[in-house]
Amino acid sequence: MEPRNLHELTAAYALDALDASDVEAYEAHLAQCEQCRADLAELNETASALAWAPDAPSPPARLRAAILDAAAAERSNVVPVPMRRRWLPAVAAVAAAAAVALAVWNVDLQGSQRSAIGAVLVVRGGHATLTVSGLSRAPKGKVYEAWVIPHGVSPRPAGLFDGKMVRLTTAVPPKAQVAVTLEHAGGARAPTSRVLVSAQA
Amino acid sequence: MRKVNRDLAHLSDEALVLLAARSEQHALGELYDRYGRTAYGLALRILRDEALAEDAVQEAFLGVWRTAARFVPERGKASTWILTLVHRRAVDIVRREQRRRTDTLDDTTEASGGSVDEEAWLRLQRERVQHALRQLPDQQREALELAYYGGFTQSELAERLGQPLGTIKSRMFAGLSRLRELLGDPGMEMAWSPGTSTS
Repeated sequence: MEPRNLHELTAAYALDALDASDVEAYEAHLAQCEQCRADLAELNETASALAWAPDAPSPPARLRAAILDAAAAERSNVVPVPMRRRWLPAVAAVAAAAAVALAVWNVDLQGSQRSAIGAVLVVRGGHATLTVSGLSRAPKGKVYEAWVIPHGVSPRPAGLFDGKMVRLTTAVPPKAQVAVTLEHAGGARAPTSRVLVSAQA
Repeated sequence: MRKVNRDLAHLSDEALVLLAARSEQHALGELYDRYGRTAYGLALRILRDEALAEDAVQEAFLGVWRTAARFVPERGKASTWILTLVHRRAVDIVRREQRRRTDTLDDTTEASGGSVDEEAWLRLQRERVQHALRQLPDQQREALELAYYGGFTQSELAERLGQPLGTIKSRMFAGLSRLRELLGDPGMEMAWSPGTSTS
């Protein structure tokens, strides 16, 4: 097929208007043709802009719940935290490829503290950096402490920090949890308050 | 749930897809809060049936959930990817159900159900795209609308409009390319506006 015709097929493909018999051939071509992939990326964006033109009444509220329920049923994402203390249930846990783990955690803090917490845990060769957003500054006389919790083992102190970023002083083995608690200044040897942030390597 | 979800409001669509790929359910909820209504409006436009539109949107967002790990940001925006999944699903259903319609886009009417900000923002997007569509030559606009909203394939359009297939292909290509130019004002992004609240 001539290049010009292929361009025109790209438009039809972006509009989902190819006949079924053409889709396979076009997708095979797409895998080989850098130009068509670039064209398709552009035309896809334009085609999807058409999605904004119709009137958009609000869908029924049950649709959101149905989607999230179905998603949860497909992939359970709650990781049990094997601790004796009463830990907050994990809202979400992330297990990534061994090299990098990334988590965003949302927990409600007590009192007037903000409820938004995001945590990013990057692990390379067992060394980890934890970045947290949304924690307010530690009250006077208190400090945030990071913990590394190897699977089935008691938490190990992994560094004191101001609530923003800490290079963990304890290696993070695969599948370990990393948690943050608020402790008295100077830190503790075992967590004495509830987990504010938790992520899994 | 809703409160927690809004805490993800500062994240980009692409970051949310990344989190969804990591089984972060709230990220999927946030993506739905950003694009669920547009998705539903599109599916309803194509399917003309509320139950079928809900099915299409649900299946599309579960598609997002299942295939988020394969999303490649370099190849396009997350919003484009999501709405493409919604469109494909709705078109699949409309072809299966033999429900295709050929009427043109309705004029803008007042939608309801969201916050003032959301309504204003959606109306702005709607009017912008409708305005661009109106500037297309009639035959190009007809081809785009029948394909995108009607779910007709190019050969079905050729038959329906009594034109050679090559003519239909040309109209689609020229129409979409022209639309791209008309929408191309970089000051008018089609992505979610962080200042918009759905709460």
